Amino acid sequence: MSQALFEAVGVVRRLGGRRVLDGIELSVERGQGYVLSGDNGSGKTTLLRILAGLEAGDAGVLRFQGEQTQLPRYPDAWRLRAVYVHQHPYLFHTSVAGNIAYGLKARGEPQALQRQKVEEAIAWAGLRGVLDVPPQKLSGGEKQRVALARAKVLAPQLLLLDEPTANLDNDGRRRIVELLARLYAEGVSVLIACHDREIIELPGVRRFHLEDGRLVPLA
Amino acid sequence: MDLLEPTRQAFALLLRGDPELLQIIWLSIWLSVTAILLISPPSIALGVLLAKRRFPGQRVLVVLVQALLSFPTVVVGLVLYLLLSRRGPFGSLELLFSPAAIVIGYMVIAFPILVVFTVSAVQGADPRVYETARGLGASGKRAALTTLWEVRFGIIAAVVTAFGRVISEVGCAIMVGGNIEGLTRNMPTAIALETSKGDFAQGIALGVVLMALALGINIVMALLQGEGGLK
Repeated sequence: MSQALFEAVGVVRRLGGRRVLDGIELSVERGQGYVLSGDNGSGKTTLLRILAGLEAGDAGVLRFQGEQTQLPRYPDAWRLRAVYVHQHPYLFHTSVAGNIAYGLKARGEPQALQRQKVEEAIAWAGLRGVLDVPPQKLSGGEKQRVALARAKVLAPQLLLLDEPTANLDNDGRRRIVELLARLYAEGVSVLIACHDREIIELPGVRRFHLEDGRLVPLA
Repeated sequence: MDLLEPTRQAFALLLRGDPELLQIIWLSIWLSVTAILLISPPSIALGVLLAKRRFPGQRVLVVLVQALLSFPTVVVGLVLYLLLSRRGPFGSLELLFSPAAIVIGYMVIAFPILVVFTVSAVQGADPRVYETARGLGASGKRAALTTLWEVRFGIIAAVVTAFGRVISEVGCAIMVGGNIEGLTRNMPTAIALETSKGDFAQGIALGVVLMALALGINIVMALLQGEGGLK
């Protein structure tokens, strides 16, 4: 049996006296796509943010490639492996290319390599036509594609996407679903929280439903 | 009172580039820019710290800095005078009635403006900025610098406001600078002196320069904001 890329064991998060996450058990395999469904307020975003180290879990254990941490601790080095994309991504006040290059710069990648990777990410996300548009003036779908490219360019071992098609028009939604299907096909480990039926029903994806703070596998 | 004649004389002084006038204008700008350049980095750093970190005494510190905002500049001048005068604790430095004393006074006046505006700008930043930067692998320090960059128009506004405040300041500059011709006489103190002497032409000329500076700074601010500062 192959070793899991990432595991969450007994993750608990209390908010306002309520156990939003009540012993989450999750095992993510390398190159596998996962979809996490659940009602609004069920804790999907909270779970993703804990897995990305952006929010502290109250209890539980996380394992990443054999390394282990006891929540609420989250090793800084893991932030380079797991990347979270916000439901309403924030784009920095720089160019589209500058946004995509941000994480590469933060990692100290050589400039020539940065340029090459950013070019590839721009082509991958179909952003060539909006390179000269200030990021704040992009449509919701375009912003989401920039955010996806900005995350994918880092070649994360685990990509955590929060409602990537929420509030998008049909065309924006269609293009995001296409990119997600390509991510799956490219063997990127992706965990997506969403309600979108088209994403939930993408072939080869494993599905979970978050209910009463626990993850229930779906057929 | 005939206002037309002194106004005509004022513009004549400006147009022919009166050396005394230019010297006063240059000294004013030089002292103000020096003070702002020296005090901005520590004030902005303190502003970021007060906005992002929680530590014992933080609230008290914020209230104290806010209180400094409403201190009359003449009181700042008085305190500095007492500190720098020959019998004061720093009298041996012989800074009183020197340009350095005015720069110190300007720094004290600019400090609370820079800190309070920075706190406000950083607290008003979209919380996703820091989080996005961290999520993309930036260190805490880099993410804080990214946040500062994203609110740079608020920070520029702080610097511009502080500059506008000190370059038009008169009470502290007179008290610690002494309004010495060619050494510490700047635009506001010269206006006060010339007006008291009944020589309105130079006062009006310097007033026009001060207003032009204020207008110019605000136009630059508006242009910068037009580039992306306004949300």
